[in-house]
Amino acid sequence: MKPTQNGDDLVIDLARVEKTFKGRVRALDDVQMRVHRGEVFGLLGPNGAGKSTLVKILLTIVRPSRCQGRMLGEAVGDKSVLSRVGYLPEHLRFPQYLTGGQSLEYSAALSNVPRRERKQRREALLERVGMTRWANKKVGGYSKGMRQRLGVAQALMNDPDLVFLDEPTDGLDPVGRRDVRRLLVELREEGKTVFINSHLLNELEAVCDRVAILAQGRLVLQGTMDELTAGQERYTIELASAPAPAALAAAREAAEQAGVSLEIKGDVVQLGVDELNHAQLVMDALRSQRAVIKSARPTRPSLEDLFMRAIIDPHTGEELLPGAASPGSKQETSINGEEAP
Amino acid sequence: MMTQTWAIFYDAYRALNARKLFWISLGLSAVVVLSFATVGINDKGLTFFHWQIGIDAFSTQFISRETFYKLIFTTLGVRFWITFLATILGLISTAGVIPDLVSDGAIDLVLSKPIGRVRLFLTKYVTGLLFVTLQVAVFTTLSFFVIGLRGGAWEPGLFITVPMVILFYSYIYSVCALLGLITRSTVAALLLTILFWVLNGSLHITESSLLVARTNFEVRVEAIENDLDERTQKLAELTERAVAEPDNQRIATNIVNQQRMLEVRTQELPGEIGNRDLLQRIHFGVMALKTLLPKTTETIDLTERWLISSADMEGLTNQAAQEPAPMTFSTDPDDIAMSDREISREVQDRIEQATRERSVAWIVGTSVIFEAAMLAIACWIFRRRDF
Repeated sequence: MKPTQNGDDLVIDLARVEKTFKGRVRALDDVQMRVHRGEVFGLLGPNGAGKSTLVKILLTIVRPSRCQGRMLGEAVGDKSVLSRVGYLPEHLRFPQYLTGGQSLEYSAALSNVPRRERKQRREALLERVGMTRWANKKVGGYSKGMRQRLGVAQALMNDPDLVFLDEPTDGLDPVGRRDVRRLLVELREEGKTVFINSHLLNELEAVCDRVAILAQGRLVLQGTMDELTAGQERYTIELASAPAPAALAAAREAAEQAGVSLEIKGDVVQLGVDELNHAQLVMDALRSQRAVIKSARPTRPSLEDLFMRAIIDPHTGEELLPGAASPGSKQETSINGEEAP
Repeated sequence: MMTQTWAIFYDAYRALNARKLFWISLGLSAVVVLSFATVGINDKGLTFFHWQIGIDAFSTQFISRETFYKLIFTTLGVRFWITFLATILGLISTAGVIPDLVSDGAIDLVLSKPIGRVRLFLTKYVTGLLFVTLQVAVFTTLSFFVIGLRGGAWEPGLFITVPMVILFYSYIYSVCALLGLITRSTVAALLLTILFWVLNGSLHITESSLLVARTNFEVRVEAIENDLDERTQKLAELTERAVAEPDNQRIATNIVNQQRMLEVRTQELPGEIGNRDLLQRIHFGVMALKTLLPKTTETIDLTERWLISSADMEGLTNQAAQEPAPMTFSTDPDDIAMSDREISREVQDRIEQATRERSVAWIVGTSVIFEAAMLAIACWIFRRRDF
């Protein structure tokens, strides 16, 4: 389902969320966030940035110091709405005396799922996460990967409209990670909204419709990849070797004539444009000076590039320290894709 | 709503079922009850299997078979096994309920469900009582049959033990739940709860001892005051007789003795009154403190009070009364003071009366208020805590 920008379509609409823990540790500061129905939303940030705290506030596990916002149409903190929400905690611990199947049923019963539906969903979800064979074994004997698969299944036992997955691929092997990625795509196709917390930027980039980056408790970026990289498209020309001075001069002159910026790092030439005809001029100039071109392609910043850029302190030019913001400090943030708070 | 509650209870049962200690404890309960069945009573004394043990004080001449078994049930079964050893096993088994609930990875999942925190905590607390509920239910049912078959009395009133023991355990477990929530540690919750239980028990023993001492001094002061009145009256009579019979040496000696005893008693009295008043004040203070704390022993004693009436115990009490008299208060042949035995009987009667006069409302009511306070604090903490 393609997300729309209609306000009614918002599954999560946070106007202002703040959390200060004891000892005046400011974990979240004026966070504004929107998650649309039917999208896979990725929340990233360095350790201690406040990602888990934000999710826990939405799930009533942590009490906010201040919270203006709604989730699934109800005020954040309304317990009743949680029957439509699934959650995979980062370090989920099932009771050791339960089997995999019993764990799923227990979790679903706590979400008020009727008995008959529990039985049906249990079988279907165990099948879906590849755990049918282990359904009647005690959880105590499961590997970390198996527990994680079971955790993903339990998050879906109440057939939720919104699913929070905190590090869903943690402990999974490459096959398991691929399965989770497939599952996320399937969930999106089913119209469910998925909210993922993860450190694995490549995985998020592959599946997320929209992402947000938190740093030191503040939201510094939010939007679709297209929105976040708008105006940052490049054309990258890779040469067989570093260009000779004459080739360099020719390339600069061609770029100037085309009105595009040019950046050369070793044997890679980057143009501040993604249109082929402009790049063609520069490539002709390089070739006229006998430079050998290995490849030429349009590129844009990766999620990792955006992330690394987002966690740089604009004042000092250094990476923000892990953890929450120190009391009283103020960091200017720029939100691409959506209006800055 | 019921789906959630049932799920939490069923999970608690599964948790108990997975613990060997639960089944060991249940097995031991059965052994304890069966051991009752091996003991019998007849007109010659006690029996063990088919062996006769000649103890005159315990025979059907003084105590009915039914009362004998009920006495064993309440003293050995309930007081010693269920509310002491089985309670310790119960605490060991259930001290982890709240720390497990609030442990990392587990609490996140349950709090993300559509169930209120207070309801979740209280439901978990009640599941913690499941261990002792099942134990006492099995124990009482088996005892019911043993008393019926061996004692010839089918006493449904025995089942009052089930709610009373659950009530008793709930006082202690409320402390355990609060400590488990604060410390998040099963071991710390267990040890601190046992410490609390021991201290609470010590307070009860202190209060009982103070009651004995206080009552003893009250009776002694009354005895001395009565003695003084009677001696004063007797001295007046003797003085009149001495005027009429000035040569009667015996009367003269009696007058001297009475005057000496009057002097002794008069000197004794302020000290005894001082001790009485001091003990009354201390006892009052201890009682005030005790009022704030759970009355575990008294709650269990209520079971005995309801199961075994004073009339049932009369045989044994009369038997005890026939024991040889101890030394008297004074060796004076004309001494009219109460004997030590009389004082002792009076003290015993008054303590018995004072204890029985303690109302159910005071015993259970104040204990339940304590329990409610513990749970209210725990709920307040649980409701406000970030996990």
